[in-house]
Amino acid sequence: MKKDKHNNQRPGTGTVRRRTILKAPLAAAAAFAVPGLLIGKAQAAGKYMNLDSFRAANIDWRMAKGAKITVGVIPAGYFQNLEAVMSDFEALTGVQARLEMTPPGQIRQKAVLDLSSKTGTWASHAADPMYYMLYVANGWIDPLDNYLGDAKLTDDRWFQFEDIQPGHRGATSVDRRPYAVPFDGEATIQIYRKDVYDAKGVGPADTLDEYAANAKTVHDPANRLWGCALRGFRGAGQNMYIYPSLFRAYGGEWFDGKRVVVDSPEALAALEYYVSLLNSYAPSGVENWNWPDIADAFGQGTLGSYIDAHGSAAVVANPEKSKVVGKIGFARWPKGPSGKRVTSIWNWSFPINGALSKKDKHATWLFAQWAGSREVQIATSYDFPGAYKRTGANRGSLWKDPKFLDLMGKFGHNYVKAATESFAKDTDPDWRPRLPQWPAVGDTMATAIQSALVGQAKPKEALKEAQKKIDQILKV
Amino acid sequence: MNVYRHARLLRTIVLMIVTGALLLVWVLPLIWAFVVSLKSEREVLAYPPSVVFEPTWSNYVDALFGSFSIVDSLLTSTIVATATTVLTIALAVPAAYAFARLRLPAKRPLGFYTLATQMVPPVGLVIPYFLILNRLSWLDTYHGMVIVYLTFSLPFAIWLMVSYMEDIPWEMEEAAFLDRASRLQTLWHIVIPQVRGGIAVTVIFVFLNAWNEFLFAVQLGGNTVRPVTVAMYNFVSVEQTLWAKLSAAALVAMLPVVIIGIAAQRQIVKGLTVGAVKGGARK
Repeated sequence: MKKDKHNNQRPGTGTVRRRTILKAPLAAAAAFAVPGLLIGKAQAAGKYMNLDSFRAANIDWRMAKGAKITVGVIPAGYFQNLEAVMSDFEALTGVQARLEMTPPGQIRQKAVLDLSSKTGTWASHAADPMYYMLYVANGWIDPLDNYLGDAKLTDDRWFQFEDIQPGHRGATSVDRRPYAVPFDGEATIQIYRKDVYDAKGVGPADTLDEYAANAKTVHDPANRLWGCALRGFRGAGQNMYIYPSLFRAYGGEWFDGKRVVVDSPEALAALEYYVSLLNSYAPSGVENWNWPDIADAFGQGTLGSYIDAHGSAAVVANPEKSKVVGKIGFARWPKGPSGKRVTSIWNWSFPINGALSKKDKHATWLFAQWAGSREVQIATSYDFPGAYKRTGANRGSLWKDPKFLDLMGKFGHNYVKAATESFAKDTDPDWRPRLPQWPAVGDTMATAIQSALVGQAKPKEALKEAQKKIDQILKV
Repeated sequence: MNVYRHARLLRTIVLMIVTGALLLVWVLPLIWAFVVSLKSEREVLAYPPSVVFEPTWSNYVDALFGSFSIVDSLLTSTIVATATTVLTIALAVPAAYAFARLRLPAKRPLGFYTLATQMVPPVGLVIPYFLILNRLSWLDTYHGMVIVYLTFSLPFAIWLMVSYMEDIPWEMEEAAFLDRASRLQTLWHIVIPQVRGGIAVTVIFVFLNAWNEFLFAVQLGGNTVRPVTVAMYNFVSVEQTLWAKLSAAALVAMLPVVIIGIAAQRQIVKGLTVGAVKGGARK
């Protein structure tokens, strides 16, 4: 293991030591007598984490010293926490890495622009898992098995890639080859008003039919309480986040051979359920609601239940925003007629831009490993000094860590169990159709779902129309 | 006499009500944003909206000095918008004068060409601009961003200024030439003072467009050049929308444009009522 000890000094440490030497000859003598000890302490203490645990890995963290990389991320608490601890990455590796906050809608466009033009502007970016098929089909990103399998680049006894949630690793793999290191991920769970459910004598739904029945039971719009809400806003990441879980729970299969099928009887049954549920028990205007709107409404006490990412607990259980703190219960996705509960496998992950130089690729791999490591996951979660603690930790072992569980347990009744069981049992690699044309297919489906929801088209017609358009998209 | 006075009073009242109602359409979102910016995030979402609440300036403090401070971005926007405006005016005034007064070869095709650059939807230009700036290593630089903004502000400014130049009576310039003024002296001493209203209008539009631009800013900028329109998105994360802080940031970001608007208002009114010395034509 190579180490450049002198370059491992944290900025400013040298200046302080020189002054101390000038002021106090004795201290200087002591410092010169035991230089290894002093420098060793400076190296060990990152600002946010102990860097020695990284150095225990049998790789040269200084291999790309001097490289400068930019990583595109979205404005979100989890990346804000990562940004806060970035100085430790530079102290460890000598690589200057900057995070560039880009709005979620634009990060995909900019990444595609950058990757397709091979400009290498972003060494990596927080990638949408649905875009990997596109990236890989065009050879824009590097497969990571070459990095994971290279003993000079990865010490898997330390990194433990397999510890990262299998669903998230699967979502960022193509043809079983990994293409990114998942950083923050989620499971979709049922979030309900435990006080209201208890008062009405109902429990969290085990099946989709029960979910609708619960919504009917608690639905009381005259007193500003609606039965439930699901994402209604049109978009590949909005209503097409929820509908695929219903589609799969109804037994839908996206592919018939190579053809994408979206107008099957199962697809129709799932859409009819979604339309009927929201039109009967959701507040008017739900067709324009994305999940922050739903979480805000739930936090104001106007929803009996919703189904969405487990991370939304941080909003609805935040006393600064929510009126229902202490009244929330959590459960897994209700089962569909097929017997499946299907959570999203959504996560933000870091791939390596294939257009980079070898040195920058190594710097990016070090960054991805560092960000995905257990140490950084802890430093940005329960050990983070700020108020916001991440809930989307990427590692299975962290979901068994008592400190992490203690933090998660505060969100409400059954939170940890609902999330961990969803991660373990409800992930489905075929949650959405994985194909390079996903952005266009996802948008087409999103339009169809919303048109059915607002009554512009009957579910059957909407799906027929979507099928026609998707056939055209995939023919090209 | 009394009837006449009453009718006049009634007319004034009706006019005031109609004007007030129309103004409210434009002002209401601003008032709403201001009220939201003084509420806590929890109060923002309250239904029915709380009319009586304890106002707080903390959202402004957070927007300016918090973890997502927009101060650096305000400075970036100021630099980009000001540089774009100054360069646009410096180039558009002589160009517009040339189109309005000089006998140029291929004047009409040139004029059309200038306008044609405005016909391409901006989104179609993002990729070529990205590639060109990358080749020049000008991505995420002030000069790169300003040059890109010039490509759409300049044609617009030239066409706006041409109409003002053409309205100046030719005889005024002729008189200056008789007094042995050069072409540049005539432009500087005779024409520009006459079109200062037009220049003020152009300044406002160019500055406003550069200040509010988002598409190119997000794709061609980065950590160095990060205008306020992009930075404000930090309050609209995937997790939640911080409405109160977003409103505070938006209102702060509006201020420079409002100040410039007020400062240029006198000149704009003059520009709009330039009819006193109308005449001339394209020569």
